[in-house]
Amino acid sequence: MASENETVEPPGDEFKTLDEGNEPGGRRDGFLVASDSFEDFARLEEAKSSIKDRHPSGTINKIVREGSCEDPPDKQDEIESVSSGIASMATEEQNDSAFSDNGNVAEQVAPTLSASIHEEEELDEVHKPEWKGQKKHVFILSEAGKPIYSRYGAEDKLVTIMGVMQALVSFVQDSKDSMRCIISGKHKFVFLTRDHLLLVAVSCTSSSTPQLLLQLNYVYNQVLSVLTYSHINKIFKQRHNYDLRRLLTGAEKFFDSLLNLMDHEPGFLLSAVRCLPLPSAVRDVVAQSIVQHAKVKDLVFAILIANNQLITLVRMKKYFLHPADLHLIFNLVSASESFKTAESWTPICLPKFDSGGYLHAHVSYLDDNCAACLLLLTVDRDMFFTLSECKSKIVERLHRYNCIEAIREALTKYTYSISQVGIPDLRHFMYKSRSTAQFTSPELESPYHTASEQERIFGLYQYLHHRMHSTSRPLKILFHVGSYETLLGWVTSGFELYAVFGPLVTKPTAINSINKLLKWIKKEEDRLFILNSPTF
Amino acid sequence: MTSTKSPVSLANFFIFNPTLGPREGEEHKKILLYYPTDVDIDTKIKNIGLCEAIVNFTSTFTDAPCEVMHTQKRRQVFYQAEKNFWIVMTVTIPISHKTKDGVPYIEYHEDDVQDSVFQAVLKQAYKMFRFFMGPFSDIMDRGNVQSLIQRLEHFYYRYLPTLKLDNSDILDVFNGIHFLPLDKHTYLRIQSFTNLLEATFSQIKYTAFLYNDQLVWSGLEQDDMRTMYKYLTTSLFPPFLEQELQGSPVANNDRRGSSVATLHYGRYINGPPNMSDSSNLGKVPRVYINTESTCEECHLVVYRALSATVCLLVDASYPLQFDFYRSIDGLVGPKLSVLASDISEQYVKRSTPSTGEVQFKYIYFNHMNLAQKTTVHTDSKKSSNVNIPADILRLLSDINSDLSRNVDEGETIVKSITDCWVVGKKSDQREFYVVINQKNANLIEINEEVKRLCATNFNNIFFLD
Repeated sequence: MASENETVEPPGDEFKTLDEGNEPGGRRDGFLVASDSFEDFARLEEAKSSIKDRHPSGTINKIVREGSCEDPPDKQDEIESVSSGIASMATEEQNDSAFSDNGNVAEQVAPTLSASIHEEEELDEVHKPEWKGQKKHVFILSEAGKPIYSRYGAEDKLVTIMGVMQALVSFVQDSKDSMRCIISGKHKFVFLTRDHLLLVAVSCTSSSTPQLLLQLNYVYNQVLSVLTYSHINKIFKQRHNYDLRRLLTGAEKFFDSLLNLMDHEPGFLLSAVRCLPLPSAVRDVVAQSIVQHAKVKDLVFAILIANNQLITLVRMKKYFLHPADLHLIFNLVSASESFKTAESWTPICLPKFDSGGYLHAHVSYLDDNCAACLLLLTVDRDMFFTLSECKSKIVERLHRYNCIEAIREALTKYTYSISQVGIPDLRHFMYKSRSTAQFTSPELESPYHTASEQERIFGLYQYLHHRMHSTSRPLKILFHVGSYETLLGWVTSGFELYAVFGPLVTKPTAINSINKLLKWIKKEEDRLFILNSPTF
Repeated sequence: MTSTKSPVSLANFFIFNPTLGPREGEEHKKILLYYPTDVDIDTKIKNIGLCEAIVNFTSTFTDAPCEVMHTQKRRQVFYQAEKNFWIVMTVTIPISHKTKDGVPYIEYHEDDVQDSVFQAVLKQAYKMFRFFMGPFSDIMDRGNVQSLIQRLEHFYYRYLPTLKLDNSDILDVFNGIHFLPLDKHTYLRIQSFTNLLEATFSQIKYTAFLYNDQLVWSGLEQDDMRTMYKYLTTSLFPPFLEQELQGSPVANNDRRGSSVATLHYGRYINGPPNMSDSSNLGKVPRVYINTESTCEECHLVVYRALSATVCLLVDASYPLQFDFYRSIDGLVGPKLSVLASDISEQYVKRSTPSTGEVQFKYIYFNHMNLAQKTTVHTDSKKSSNVNIPADILRLLSDINSDLSRNVDEGETIVKSITDCWVVGKKSDQREFYVVINQKNANLIEINEEVKRLCATNFNNIFFLD
């Protein structure tokens, strides 16, 4: 052990001497907004008053104005027409909800609640053991208590229980306070109030309260992504009791798939994006092809993705994409089967980019045999045919340089195996480059090949992440020896590393392994990360 | 610009039983206690209604009882102490006034209030009541709702203002006991002394022996001893010591005249204050022990000589009379005085060494015998005398709650943002926390440091490496 000691460089000092941006996968000129949105989010929770300023950033209008658009479309028009494309605005029937805002909710709460849960209409959902036994429920309801979405069970059968949630929240609001969470044994009940909407998670997973809040915020962003903030705001200002489900018909699948994705995909937790490991030469050709053939006015982002991994991203100068928005794009693609059959044209709002309006996306798969999906996002809603033409040219060039073949090959191997890293004691890891908001991690292999073991290991990562990123007591290093494995978390200004070892690893061995791992990542960074940031 | 943080304070504390006022319009009957008292009945009913609503709401999803509710400004802790009897305590979240870009705002320090700590404080509040008054349901069965309400008010109106919520920390979670280790010979002498006492006076059911604030021997069940220890060290001893320091009771020496043979330093803390005044029997509280099983009622007589204290739990059916006190005094006084001065010699020897250049502070707790040791707190009483930063102290509770949730055995080493190292170990029912403030140390050096520390201070205790 003593001899090992000498060669070991323990965490804490090694990378301090390096310049910022020299950590593996680190760069100053990223294309993703690298602010740590997890901490941002927590802080925003503190100063919620500023939330309104955050919403309409008007980025889209700015682009429209900057581009020499001869006849800038009236924004109001645009939103109207788009939303009518999603669902027609039926005339509103005046159906008062059980918990109207002007009644004194406080006085109703106690007597109504205990009785109401037993109402017959709900017997079929609330009292079903399989409904009760779900590990993570998520509910969306309007400020007036109207059900909008439930992850499990039909939301119209859950009117009463959602009414209770709304009543609890508004009761607490009456005393100028706001509800955060309730804890009962292993269950956490987490509440997120946003303008006009209330989101509730009921979870007995290992997600911490801030992590559940983050997930609810993603769900909220998914709502915005379909409807835009401006639209929701307008509707609820007109009709407080509006049944938002009318506008979200067909959008349930996006919520379902987002929630499933968040249960195992670490990108959400890390606020970072995983890139498809690819030789940098191939990636460069892909980017160049896009830059060459998609140099079209008003095209903001061109994004090539596959299996929730980023292949390349080309952006308009001055504009950046937030990882949270990119996750919504991943979700859009993985939840939509129809994109596979035909080129599509779909509106999408990216809330971090501009929650006030839509971008228009030309979505198509590169090839019938390739899972890579190309999205061309523009502010001009009449550009389908122009972009369709661009896509053909891009694909043509990619074929010519054998890029599609290279991507297909990379995709058959999913990501990479931990054995390729060549560190025997290391079972698994997640590495995030903070400056580029990208992360890498190998495939989960034995002993983490079963669903329940994968859930457990994800729970351990959540625990590690939660403690390291506590708002009031953040940590630089956490080393934990448990019954089944040893965990190491290490956060510096440049990177975050979370590693899993066997339970019997010694501290010097673990630290030695970590230093080897960092060297390996540095060596492989061209393949694992996107290090340049092409623009149109 | 930052201002100082406001302390954690008690917002309210109430006890209710939903089965007492099931009908609409009778909600007020559910309320058994509400503190503070200057609150109108509607607010009381509303707040209790909300708690009931939350309990019902959570039961839709889980059979586990509701434990805590977090809001931006408050933390509400729930405890179903007995079937249908709920105790709820609400504390305020500390705030500080800050400004950002010239705009003032209030920051709420939610993470400063730790669930495990305040859940422990609430349970303690119940157990203390039960120790002196008996279980809620027994009081109801013996009398009526009104008698329960009276007892609750009598007890909690005095107990609650003494809670030092802002100083609550991981020690409340452990709620342990400081033991005094002694050599075998002295220990056996103490045991034979208590045996003699119990044999001579059959009405004495249990005894406990303390030296200063440290427990030497106890015949009580652990959980009862834990509650009694808390009572002795936080509320009985401190005012008594203060009184002694002021030197008021010279009564001790007055009665020497009676007989030279009984010259000693003994006197009652709970019991007759003056052995030459047979008209004043003093105040002796009744206590309820083994409440989970047989529920025995006892008088708690406390007798002290110098720094040694002996607690006598006398069968409650036995009427305490002056003769009884006198014969105890006659037997215990001289023996206890001798024991006390012998222990003090050992005590002085033990407490002096190894206080030199200590760079670390630690807390130790053993779940099996409730033994607790701390060098983080400068005295065993609850006060603000803590010699590590508040955030680091909270970090200990964080690690403790992780370790108690996830594993039976484990170790966690963390480096805080301020470069302070904290190590938490749990193995074989023992927990050990070390704070090391060595900024330039690395993980391996810290590991070595802790090994050394365990070897010197806990050499006979096995810790998982």
